[in-house]
Amino acid sequence: MRFFLRRLSFYLVALIVAASINFFLPRIMPGDPLQIMFGQQMARMTPETVDALRATYGFTDEPLIQQYFQYLGSVARWDLGLSVREFPKPVSEILREGLIWTVVLVGSSTLIAFTLGSFLGLLASWFRGSWYDSIATPLSLVMQSIPSVVICLTALFIFALGLGWFPTGYGYDPQLDPGWNLEFISSVAHHAVLPVLTLVVFQMAAFMIPMRANMINLLGEDYITMGRAKGLSSSRVLFQYGARNALLPSVTTLAMALGFVVGGSFITEVVFNYPGIGYIMFQAILSRDYPLIQGHMLIFTMVMLIANLIADLLYVILDPRVRTGSGDA
Amino acid sequence: MSALLEVKNLCVDYITDQGSVRAANNVSFSIQPGEVFGLAGESGCGKSTVAFAVPRLHNPPALISSGEILFEGENILHFNQQQLQAYRWAKVSMVFQSAMNSLNPVLRVEKQFADMLMAHGYESMKACRARTGELLDMVGIHPSRMRDYPHQFSGGMRQRIVIAIALALRPKLMIMDEPTTALDVVVQREILQQINDLQRELGFSVLFITHDLSLMAEFADRLGVMYAGQLVEVRPSQELLRQPIHPYSHGLTQSFPSIRGPIQKLTGIPGNPLDLTKVPDGCRFAERCFKATDLCREQEPQLIPHATGHVACHHPISIAQQEMSHE
Amino acid sequence: MLFFKLLLKNRQALIGLAILSIFILSALFAPLLAPHDPKRRVGGIHQPPSAEHILGTTRLGRDIYSQVLHAGRISIAVGLAAGLITTIIAVVTGLSAGYFGGRIDDVITFCTNVILVIPQLPLLIVLAAFIGQVSPFLIAMIIGFTSWAWGSRVIRSQTMALRQKEFIHSAELMGEASWRIITVELLPNLISIIGSGFIGAVIYSIMTQATLEFIGLGDPSSVSWGTMLYHAQTSSAMWVGAWWDILVPCVAISLFGAGLALLNFAVDEIANPKLRANSAMRRWKKMQKQIARESQA
Ligand SMILES: Nc1ncnc2c1ncn2[C@@H]1O[C@H](COP(=O)(O)OP(=O)(O)OP(=O)(O)O)[C@@H](O)[C@H]1O
Ligand code: SF4
Ligand SMILES: [Mg+2]
Repeated sequence: MRFFLRRLSFYLVALIVAASINFFLPRIMPGDPLQIMFGQQMARMTPETVDALRATYGFTDEPLIQQYFQYLGSVARWDLGLSVREFPKPVSEILREGLIWTVVLVGSSTLIAFTLGSFLGLLASWFRGSWYDSIATPLSLVMQSIPSVVICLTALFIFALGLGWFPTGYGYDPQLDPGWNLEFISSVAHHAVLPVLTLVVFQMAAFMIPMRANMINLLGEDYITMGRAKGLSSSRVLFQYGARNALLPSVTTLAMALGFVVGGSFITEVVFNYPGIGYIMFQAILSRDYPLIQGHMLIFTMVMLIANLIADLLYVILDPRVRTGSGDA
Repeated sequence: MSALLEVKNLCVDYITDQGSVRAANNVSFSIQPGEVFGLAGESGCGKSTVAFAVPRLHNPPALISSGEILFEGENILHFNQQQLQAYRWAKVSMVFQSAMNSLNPVLRVEKQFADMLMAHGYESMKACRARTGELLDMVGIHPSRMRDYPHQFSGGMRQRIVIAIALALRPKLMIMDEPTTALDVVVQREILQQINDLQRELGFSVLFITHDLSLMAEFADRLGVMYAGQLVEVRPSQELLRQPIHPYSHGLTQSFPSIRGPIQKLTGIPGNPLDLTKVPDGCRFAERCFKATDLCREQEPQLIPHATGHVACHHPISIAQQEMSHE
Repeated sequence: MLFFKLLLKNRQALIGLAILSIFILSALFAPLLAPHDPKRRVGGIHQPPSAEHILGTTRLGRDIYSQVLHAGRISIAVGLAAGLITTIIAVVTGLSAGYFGGRIDDVITFCTNVILVIPQLPLLIVLAAFIGQVSPFLIAMIIGFTSWAWGSRVIRSQTMALRQKEFIHSAELMGEASWRIITVELLPNLISIIGSGFIGAVIYSIMTQATLEFIGLGDPSSVSWGTMLYHAQTSSAMWVGAWWDILVPCVAISLFGAGLALLNFAVDEIANPKLRANSAMRRWKKMQKQIARESQA
């Protein structure tokens, strides 16, 4: 319990840091921050909306510290201001519409990459030195060092434009009405294949390589040898004695890797016109919709924090030493 | 009486980038039913390497390159995977050097009994629990604790759990590779006493490895001394420790204080253990031996019958001489 | 020195080094090798590869071969610069946290942890968006100053492990100054970690630069692999069938990344012999098979 309280307070601080970056950036830029952020659109606004914006962002005449707390207060109320591009729609509302798409995209691809990557890493460690290991391991590293832009563009070009197997963009067939019917859901699934696959390719090495390394280190551990000495079958030893322990560090990586996935998913959404928050962000960049850009960073920070929290939970479930307290680990 | 375990001319190599290193060279010994056989020698002389060969537990880069390991007359080096799995633990169980780490940290103790029992014919979890309770009781741990995780036990308790697991299938041979090095002296004594009692009661054989010669004296029936991958002397332990014949055994017995007797000066053995990548033609111990001659440096001594056992030395120390110096 | 000997014996390292040297040399000599000015219209619109323009032309009639050579200069320079900044900050913070411990460690660890949970790309985008169209130099700076946390954490834990070692204790007991212990005793033992961290940082920086430029946050008048992609995408090259316009920068980035990745793989293997799937392992397999065959006979 103390462990979780500590983590929670840490996450709170991290969120405040992210919000502070948002707060200070426009203020350290040369010029009037309100002008920087709302530019030409200011002319089109009524004085009331300008006042509302000032209130949200704390661009008032009060001392800086007071402005700062005013802004933190808005963030706490999840009042992220109004979008400039789709004025006067609130940023939080726009992001909420995109979030589900992104969460599904990132969630499913991470899950697949985690399972597949860990399994392939396990195989590579077990068959160390075989042709499989000596090809798959460097190959996955090479794949990981190819920017997601390149992976996405290639996939789009080959499988959507070239072979025509998959649609070239968007989250579902725009002629359909969203709803819980088979047609719509299968359209969503069909549109998700390429984005999910590119993200899987992009992430897989992040799970495969550590898994292989952890396993190889573990194979020398006494309890693995004892497992074999007990006459257990190789697969038993591999999964129950090896994999489960080797996965522990991967769980921590899982949350960390998410930071990179977020970057990858952003590009994926841009290339495939996928209607998640990454795509919304892209639109916001094109029109320099600063409130939306800032809201985006906050919401992704939230997503990261939640993922970290889940990873913490998972770790506790997988490792009894943390759960029962008195551990020497 | 036919031997339970017979190791014949066993050679184990470590295949490394720098070439092969022979960590066990032509090792031959046998263990009788109910006998406790000790293996002693400096760190790195190959004791664990020999111990791991018996249940064929070597991982690469270790390779059993030649020799035979006969268990009840069958060469286990010819076993296939199934035979091997059935043989392991049911016939030969093992307590590892760092038994502290030989329990899987993420599985409940009960589970670590059960997976092994089930692999060897137990069918229900209930039967497994019953047996686990019995075994824990035998080593003095309350059966109610079987649902705990390894880290919830002290080092000595964990070691006792490992021993309980090792006893579970009533194996004919138990290998103990320095089973108590990670523990403090008091706990060490307690556990050894327990092993000793259990061994008397159940009658299994033991291949016992330790640095501590005074433990050997109490515990082992016969003792093999290894140097640089080879057995140099094999004799009944009391005799060997009182009157070592091989100069290396002699040095070894001098290096250890006797717990009971008056404190003797520790003379030890000059020089460093042999680098296994640079094996000389003659005796491997010649470099450090006070009795070495040209013959020793040219010709390798063989392990041949001598007195009450076997010795590999061109100039064995005579027993009569030692008796004189004792007086 | 042994390290370099091993490196030259490693197949992956050799392939990686070969790729990298080709790229670096062609970037260095780009003005000599490129037949055209990368920023000038020298041919028709979207010409496919031909004898005159061996990699075709862009929508603005620029020679892609000349562009990709010149772009290499900027992309590689940004990658190296950002990688260097990242590594220096990671080493300084990681070493101080790991070596001095206590308060210093608390503060540094806290900062690294915070940075690690704030997602990188959104942060970079916010920074870049406020700065406006970001020059390659600024891109290198902002990547360098925001990406050091992971490396710092790794170096810290390694330093803490080394600190427990005998030779550090004895150096301390002999009254050596901390800076001497850090530079003479600790750093040499961290070289392979720092090296592979640096290579990783360069890979990451090049990828990130390409991403930022691709979405239009870079300076579109500079010629780099990222801006090439940006122009190709905004001119719908893929949709009008001008695949070469997209393919060339893609291949360049991927190959360069692959070269770095292979080199990094080799460095890791040399640093952790345990992970190696090497000749000894193959020899072991062969001998094992032979013994099995003999025992059957
Ligand atoms: N994985 C390995 N690769 C190469 N050589 C090894 C490996 N493992 C052990 N050796 C070598 O084999 C020799 C015997 O090692 P072994 O572990 O059998 O010694 P030991 O007698 O059990 O020592 P200790 O008393 O310290 O446990 C040593 O010289 C060691 O250097
Ligand atoms: S053979 Fe010679 S050198 Fe070797 S132990 Fe005997 S006396 Fe010493
Ligand atoms: Mg040993």
